[in-house]
Amino acid sequence: MSGANVGRPNHLDRLRQRLVKDGRREPFLALSASGQLGNGVLERAFRAGLERRPHSIGADMGSVDPGPNYLGSGKMAASDTIARQDLALVLEGARAHDLPLLIGSAGTAGARPHLDHTLDLVRSIARERGLHFRLASIAADMPREVVKAAIRRGEVAPIGAIDALTEADVDGAAHLVGQMGIEAFQRALAMGADVVVAGRACDTAVFSAIPAALGYPVGPAMHMAKIIECCSIACMPGGRDAALGTLDEGGFTMESMNPDRHATPLSVAAHSLYEQADPYTVSEPEGTLDVEHARYLALDAHRCRVEGALWRPAARPSVKIEGATRVGERALLLAGCADPRAIARIKTILPEVEQVVRGIVAGDYRMYFRVYGIDGVVDWPSPPAVPPREVFILGEVIADSTDLAKAATTVLKQYLLHHGFPGRLSTAGNVAFPITPPEVQTGTAYRFSAYHVMQVDALEPLFPVVMEDI
Amino acid sequence: MKLVDCARVIRSKNAGPTTLSLDLMFEDDARFRQALSSPALTATALAPLYGVPVESVEVIPYAPAFAIKIVLPRKIIAGAPGDRDVYGAQQHGPLLGVEL
Repeated sequence: MSGANVGRPNHLDRLRQRLVKDGRREPFLALSASGQLGNGVLERAFRAGLERRPHSIGADMGSVDPGPNYLGSGKMAASDTIARQDLALVLEGARAHDLPLLIGSAGTAGARPHLDHTLDLVRSIARERGLHFRLASIAADMPREVVKAAIRRGEVAPIGAIDALTEADVDGAAHLVGQMGIEAFQRALAMGADVVVAGRACDTAVFSAIPAALGYPVGPAMHMAKIIECCSIACMPGGRDAALGTLDEGGFTMESMNPDRHATPLSVAAHSLYEQADPYTVSEPEGTLDVEHARYLALDAHRCRVEGALWRPAARPSVKIEGATRVGERALLLAGCADPRAIARIKTILPEVEQVVRGIVAGDYRMYFRVYGIDGVVDWPSPPAVPPREVFILGEVIADSTDLAKAATTVLKQYLLHHGFPGRLSTAGNVAFPITPPEVQTGTAYRFSAYHVMQVDALEPLFPVVMEDI
Repeated sequence: MKLVDCARVIRSKNAGPTTLSLDLMFEDDARFRQALSSPALTATALAPLYGVPVESVEVIPYAPAFAIKIVLPRKIIAGAPGDRDVYGAQQHGPLLGVEL
C-alpha cells in the first residue's frame, strides 16, 4: 500500500494507461485538499473527497497576500503544529490510495528556507508514520545573475504600481523567488515522484499539471484549477472544505466535499473576480487562461458545470518574480485617547511630538501614525464629519537598529503622554496605554522590492527538481 | 439610490501587493445594468474617493456574476512601512457613500 514506487511506471504513465482509451479521455478527478495548507484542513470533507477515488491530490500552501515579512524572514506564517497536522493528513491520504500529491508554495512564501522547513516536516511525518515514497522538491529561488541579465535586456516589467526593478533591488532582496507553473510539476512527476513539494508556485499548477500532461484540454484544466484552488470558497455559502473537480474533454464540474456548500453558476462565476485584477484572463508562465466565454450551468443544486475556457500558449514563457528586502527594525507604540480636545487636534499633535522626538533622538529612522477612529484603516480624502469619542493611536518606528527603534519609541511614548497644546484640559496625560510596556519590538521589517514579470527562454533551468527516496 | 442599498456585496482585496481590487456584486441583471450606467461608478467619479489619478482607475463589468470590478493602484505596496491594510480587505469604505 505505502511502498515506494521505485522501478514502477511513474504516475503520469499509470494514469494515462487508466484514463486514456483509444484517444478518448475518461473523467479526471482532482481533489483540492486546501487553499492554505497549514491553516487547518477540514478532515471530514477531505476524507469524503478521498472516498470519491480521485486521481490526484493538490494543496496550495502559500501566497503573497500575508505581506513581505514571510518572504523576507524565511519564516512560515502557519504554526508548525497545524502545518504538521495538515501535511500528515494529506500525506497519509495520498499514500493510502497511492495517489500523486502535489503541494505548491511550501511554507507560505516558497523560498529556500520555507521549502527546507516543509521538507523537514514531511520527512519527520514519514518517519513517524512509516510512510515510504519518492519525494520531489522543486526550488523556486531565482538565480540573481539571471534576473539581472534579464533587467539589462529589458525583459523585466513591473506588475501594477511598483518601480522598475533594478540590479540593486535584485542584490538587496533577502529572498527572491519565481512562480513556477505546470512544467516543473510535470518534470518532477515524469521523474517518478509520488509527492511533489514545490517552492513558490502558481496556485493553479498543483491541480492542472497532471491533466495537462495527460492531454486534457488545458483551458478547462486551468480554469478548474483556478476554481478549486481555494477549495469551497467558490461555493454558497463559501468555506474551506475540500473541493473536487471532475474534468473531461468538454469542461469540468465543481463540487464541494461538504454537502452544505453549493457550487452554483453564480458562486463559481463570481470566483473569477476574487483577488484578480482582470476577471477574464489569468497569466501563467506557459500561457494565458481566457474565461471570457466560459459558461456556468447548474447540474443540480450542489454542482456546477463549466465549459468554454480557452488557453492561449505564450510565444515565450514568463515568470512572476517576488522579492522582499529588509527596511530596518520595527517598534510600535500602542496608545488610546478619549479626550475630545486631544482628539480634535490629534493630527497636529502627532507631528509636533515627532519633531520633539527628533530633537532628542538623533539618527536615521522613520515614524508613521495611524489614528483608528480617524484614518487608521483607510486614507480617507476628508476627516470624519463627527469626531469619534475615542481613538487608538498606533505609532510605528522603523530604524536601522533595534536600539534606535526602541529609543525613538520610548521617547515618543513619554512626550505624547505629556505634550502641551492650547486648550489642554487633561493635563496629567494625553493618552491611555492599554498594556505595559506600551512599546513593542516586532523585529525586522521588510517590504516587497520585486513584484515583476520576467520573460525567459526556458523554465526548466529556473526550477530544479531534486528526488529523494523516503 | 445609494450603492450600499443596491449591491449584494461590496468588497475589497489586494490583487497582488501593488493593486487593489474592489468588487460590487448585484442580485440580478437589472440592478447590475442600473449601477453600470451610473456616472458615479466611472473612473472620473471614483478616483477622488481614493486619492488616485483618474487614468489609474479601471472599471470592468463582469456580467456572468452581475458584478463590477474596480481596479486601483495601491498607494503603499502591501506590508511596506506605513501601510494600513496588508490584505486590502477593508478599503471598501469610501464606496459606501456613493449615490448611483
